[in-house]
Amino acid sequence: MIATCFPAGNPVLVRSGIGPCLAAGNGASVPDVGGTDALLAARLAAGDDLALAEAFDTLAPAVYSGALRVLGHHAAAQDVVQDVFVQLWSHPGRYDPDAGSLRGYLTMQARHRALDLVRGELRRMARQERSSRLQPGPPEPSLYEQVMASETAAAVRAAVERLPESQRRMVELAYFQGLTCREAAQAAGIPEGTAKSRLRLALAKLETVLDRQLLESS
Amino acid sequence: MTAADSSPVLPEGLRDRVLAASLRARAAGRPEPAAPEISPDEAFSRAADAFYGMLGVLRAQDWRRPALRGLDVQGLVGHLTGVEEDVHRCLAGDGQVARVNHIESTQAAADRQAGRSPAETRAEWRHAADRTVELVHAASDLGTEVAVHGLRLPLRLLLVVRAFELWVHDNDIRQATGLPPSVPDPSTLTLMAQAAARLLPYAAARNGLCEPTRVHLVLTGPGGGTWDIPVGDSTPAPAPVGIVADAVGFCRLAANRTTPDRLGPHITGDPDRATSLLAAVSTLALD
Repeated sequence: MIATCFPAGNPVLVRSGIGPCLAAGNGASVPDVGGTDALLAARLAAGDDLALAEAFDTLAPAVYSGALRVLGHHAAAQDVVQDVFVQLWSHPGRYDPDAGSLRGYLTMQARHRALDLVRGELRRMARQERSSRLQPGPPEPSLYEQVMASETAAAVRAAVERLPESQRRMVELAYFQGLTCREAAQAAGIPEGTAKSRLRLALAKLETVLDRQLLESS
Repeated sequence: MTAADSSPVLPEGLRDRVLAASLRARAAGRPEPAAPEISPDEAFSRAADAFYGMLGVLRAQDWRRPALRGLDVQGLVGHLTGVEEDVHRCLAGDGQVARVNHIESTQAAADRQAGRSPAETRAEWRHAADRTVELVHAASDLGTEVAVHGLRLPLRLLLVVRAFELWVHDNDIRQATGLPPSVPDPSTLTLMAQAAARLLPYAAARNGLCEPTRVHLVLTGPGGGTWDIPVGDSTPAPAPVGIVADAVGFCRLAANRTTPDRLGPHITGDPDRATSLLAAVSTLALD
């Protein structure tokens, strides 16, 4: 048995996160806890907010850089950083120290999320362009336009250029000219089913090529 | 390395924003995954079942093996029967049992096992443990303060301490008989680790460690968690002592079944202070 007779006035015990933890979050010095990624992961799983702060201080610059490289947009890159660290804190068990470094894991997560944003923006732009054809007038500058101006834009353009002619034509019609699949099929003089099939193949290739290029670029 | 990597200056405010968002998603101190919560009486019942199951696999000769404090395995089980009987008296309101010594008071129960069969000893202990559960279920409030063996504590904490003791002696017997060590299920371990963490200030006070200190205790693995614990006799100084250790190992330390060195904690802050605190934790055991 262990002794459990408390002195007068039970000891005050608080879960971490009060006072000192917020102080750490507000920029106060975080103790140098060092150690391996496995230790850091174990501390994160245990709810150690100082470990979270340490992980951020050590790895956020790389995560931010990776996201910024893909997106070319500061605000969007910050959102990616937040998303990556919130996910790390919420689900620390998803990181396996045996599978690689925490730095590699987080930067990979950042790139995946950034690429998801790019893909989402491509889809949004396609919808917007279709819509704008019905409402004449210059569209507002968008994240897509900034993205296209970035390093990623060059990769996207190069990837599209390398598609077979038939598939590239579908991407241009559907995404850059904003046509529906039926309209694109009519413009290309092919059945709608063939147009859809070519578009699916083209997008699958683009995703593969873009993932590889953007990951290798780091 | 790219230009972006070489100038990784983060935007102002991003750190605060990210840490705040993270802590909104999961509060600091909470383990992930968190073990399902169980009541202290459930923890005791689980520990009792595990102990009873372990006794069931012992061979006849195992019961004669030296286990602890000059007791063989059978005598140690008798000691635990004696503890249960004292707990029964405590729950019945017997004030005498509040002051008796944990070991002396149970020696008769240990001694009376001599000449008995292991099955008798095992059955007697099971009956005593079941009686404890019955009495606890009959008690209206687990917050009721009780006193036994020189301890005064809420009934819910007594049950966790009892689960703790069963697990510790389970492993004493395992060690004596060559069985592999056991680890409590994560839910039970969570309660045990919380109890051990909660006792840190008391352990420090009992060992004369009165200098104000803030301990950032991180217990890793299933059953773990993180606590900020003020230690000492006034408002803690701002510089914290950080201790990161395995949750099971920390519980073994609290039971004096391992040493701070063997625990292998990761320490930040004043290492001497941290080592003294851990040494104090190991004095909590009554055996």
